[in-house]
Amino acid sequence: MDLITGLLTTAFLAGGVLALAAIGEVLAERVGVVNLGVEGLMAMGAVTGIAAVSATHSPVLGFLAALAVGALFGAAFAFATVMIKANQVLCGLALTLMGTGLAQTIGRGYSGMPAAATFQPITIPLLSDIPVLGKAFFSQNILIYLIYLILPIGLSYLMFYTRHGMNMRAVGENPAAADAAGISVNTMRFCYVTAGAALAGGAGAYLTLAFVPSWSDGVIAGRGWIAVALVIFAGYRPGMAALSGLLFGLITALGFVGQARGWPIAPAFLSMLPYLGTLGFIIVPVIAWQKMRRAMAAPAALGEPYYRNVR
Amino acid sequence: MAYRIQRLPSSTPLIAFAARVIAVVLALLVTALILAISGHDPIDLAGQVLSSSLLDSFGLQDLGVIFIPLMLTGLSVAVAQQIGAWNIGAEGQFYAGAFAATAIGLFIPAPDWLSLILMVIGGFAAGAIWILVPTLAKAYADVSELISTLLLNFVAALMVYYVATGPWHDRMTNSSTPKVGAEIPEFWGAIHWGFPIAIVFAIVLALVLSNTKWGYEVRLSGSNPSAAEYAGIPVRRHLIMVMLLSGAIAGFAGMLEVAGTVHRLQGGISNNYGYIGIMVAVLARGSLVGVIFAGAFMAFIQNSGIILQTQGLTTSAVLAMTGLILFLTAIGEELSYYRITRDKV
Repeated sequence: MDLITGLLTTAFLAGGVLALAAIGEVLAERVGVVNLGVEGLMAMGAVTGIAAVSATHSPVLGFLAALAVGALFGAAFAFATVMIKANQVLCGLALTLMGTGLAQTIGRGYSGMPAAATFQPITIPLLSDIPVLGKAFFSQNILIYLIYLILPIGLSYLMFYTRHGMNMRAVGENPAAADAAGISVNTMRFCYVTAGAALAGGAGAYLTLAFVPSWSDGVIAGRGWIAVALVIFAGYRPGMAALSGLLFGLITALGFVGQARGWPIAPAFLSMLPYLGTLGFIIVPVIAWQKMRRAMAAPAALGEPYYRNVR
Repeated sequence: MAYRIQRLPSSTPLIAFAARVIAVVLALLVTALILAISGHDPIDLAGQVLSSSLLDSFGLQDLGVIFIPLMLTGLSVAVAQQIGAWNIGAEGQFYAGAFAATAIGLFIPAPDWLSLILMVIGGFAAGAIWILVPTLAKAYADVSELISTLLLNFVAALMVYYVATGPWHDRMTNSSTPKVGAEIPEFWGAIHWGFPIAIVFAIVLALVLSNTKWGYEVRLSGSNPSAAEYAGIPVRRHLIMVMLLSGAIAGFAGMLEVAGTVHRLQGGISNNYGYIGIMVAVLARGSLVGVIFAGAFMAFIQNSGIILQTQGLTTSAVLAMTGLILFLTAIGEELSYYRITRDKV
């Protein structure tokens, strides 16, 4: 009982980083743009969060600042890939290198210091009395509710139940048809790529303000890449992205429990689990669930720039 | 007369090269600007970098030592590009090659020459094994190699860190393995024989790809897979072979780093070489001979970073600048497809 509650608590907390970044990437990929810069955006968000909090002592301001920095870098990426139509893979990798390098340069002064203020857990009356789930979910910091409830539900509604959501998906599936129907492909792509990048920046701040909570050079540790992989696993759905974030939070939590209880496995191998797990989760479903393939398929125009005057 | 901006289906090598030069110059200017704002004198720093790398024999040797792994990881990425695959995992394959070479050097008693040969084979094999799962997943299940190759980088880094600080650690240093017995002899100063071998390797591969039936089939499979399939070319078999070769080259780079330069295994031995290799391949625009020059240029950039460390700048600043060069190069590459034409009325 205690073990399960503890596992779930850590899983929600650890999975929040991946869930938030993955939801952001869903937004970008649904309009047809692969953003491989999530790792760098998270690094920038993480260091911005720490820097802003040490100046203002307000975690909320730190989080908002990270969103803004994520959006700024995302806008630069969107300008290159959507407006100029430069190669998305290269621009994404470039964003990862720039973000990681810049964040490490800025972060030198903050390295190893705990965050000046962090998001504190809030116990929700009544709901927190539910056995297991009450402690694990309804006694967490406020971002957890944003990540697991508000964003997935709100974005799922937006994407699948509104006209705007149809337009948005059309841009990712068939930009030429969307263009002909009067939707501005470039505007749609620019806005959602930028918004997705903002969430990636937020995910970085979540890491340094609610989860770790301090900055160090390797703090992102590939989480941005795992988030990109989770989007495939989640079938490009915000709700599934949040759930798969939670699933990976669980894997991380298992590693923590293993270390704490002294399982006879070297910590290095437990640290490998999320990466190997991610690899398994993007390969196994393709082979195992052939029938699900169409429902979980990537947007048809994913990764392809849209030129109005070509063909 | 009216001017028109037109996007052509292809771009000429000259314009693509010019776009790269402009991108690099712009990135250097932006970096200089940031340095100037943060209170450094960029011209003074540039002078120091030039005098202590290009105009100094020891500096040139350092450059050569960094060049070897960068050129080879660049070659690894460029080889995969021939068939349209992105190997983002050269970093991990580099670690795997270094790991295998160290294991052979430490635990298989053999005369030095035999040990070196075994290390080369081990390096190639380990790199190929490290990319095997992503390769098969791409070939048989159409799983994007972008993320699958990348994820294994973290696994390899953790594995190397674990053995270097754990079971294989040296009692003296604790953070690396003991010295590996067999060493590649030096060629000039600190530069070992891996230098000419790597260059010859790139040229031979370039010739094979441009002059053999196999090379032609690989390039066709890369540029138009369905046409290649229709022409009866075994696209999948070529894809598997080329990706394994790509991994093997990165593994070889890791092996050379252990046997020629560092002489022991330590965490972080790959120094982001795998990631910068992507940059090298992009600058070379997929040309295997171009990789030699792009590798030399990126070695200069990396070496500058090391020199500037004495001025209070970090290698991460160089990483950021590398990213900026890549970003501007990608934009420049796309813009090089455009022409401004004049309509005759």
